[in-house]
Amino acid sequence: MARMKFICDAERCIECNACSTACKQEHEVPWGVNRRRLVTLNDGLPGERSISVACMHCTDAPCMAVCPVDCFYRTEDQVVLHDKDLCIGCGYCFYACPFGAPQFPQAGAFGLRGKMDKCTYCAGGPEENFSVAEFRKYGRNRIAEGKLPACAEMCSTKALLAGDAPVITAIYKQRVQTRGKGDEIWGWKMAYKGSGMLADQDGGKS
Amino acid sequence: MRLALIVAVAGLCAACHEIPQDAAKPYAGKEDTKAYAGDKFKGDKAAYEQALAQRAQTQNEYLRTDAGKR
Repeated sequence: MARMKFICDAERCIECNACSTACKQEHEVPWGVNRRRLVTLNDGLPGERSISVACMHCTDAPCMAVCPVDCFYRTEDQVVLHDKDLCIGCGYCFYACPFGAPQFPQAGAFGLRGKMDKCTYCAGGPEENFSVAEFRKYGRNRIAEGKLPACAEMCSTKALLAGDAPVITAIYKQRVQTRGKGDEIWGWKMAYKGSGMLADQDGGKS
Repeated sequence: MRLALIVAVAGLCAACHEIPQDAAKPYAGKEDTKAYAGDKFKGDKAAYEQALAQRAQTQNEYLRTDAGKR
């Protein structure tokens, strides 16, 4: 059985925010709730790195461990989901999560919180597949349509990979082995097949 | 002396032992329908898995270009 995961390749991410925008659009996520977001380290400095962060659907999920009402469950594909009808919005999962994935819509005045919302891996929730209730509470169920999460499919540089863990780690491994590491992966030599000279390229003028 | 040594060794070994903290938690919510139970796959799990595996490979641009063959 599949073990669905995300990998974000920090060497490829260009901080375009297409992933978070795709997520917002796909699930009609309300204002103030960000199921996916970009984190940039050393912003503005040479060598800055960006990474797209959402629920990582942990194998040993801390949110699941601390939930006082046991509203979390794991699907057959190892996607961590929760039942919003049961959630009391206590915020324990937010404190337990190392990725800041759980989000809480402000439900009223005085900081009153609504039910927790988080990345569903585009797998909906505990409602009938493709039902209005499922979309309203959890968003679109792309997995049941045989599609991958919108964020990964929308990623223009394919920095964000989604799928079964062995499959995407194989893609990532091939990528790293092909491009090398460090300074090798930037510049003319990478762009023009091993040579820094345009004249060396196919059809190049000498 | 010997007893103290045994107790000390047992104590040290116990400290190395990792107590499992991921005890299975019950789920109290509603039962979810399977991802392959909808109109798209009509319960065909194999077709569902194949569709996702095929979809995942579209993320590998080396399959679409000759860059991976260099």
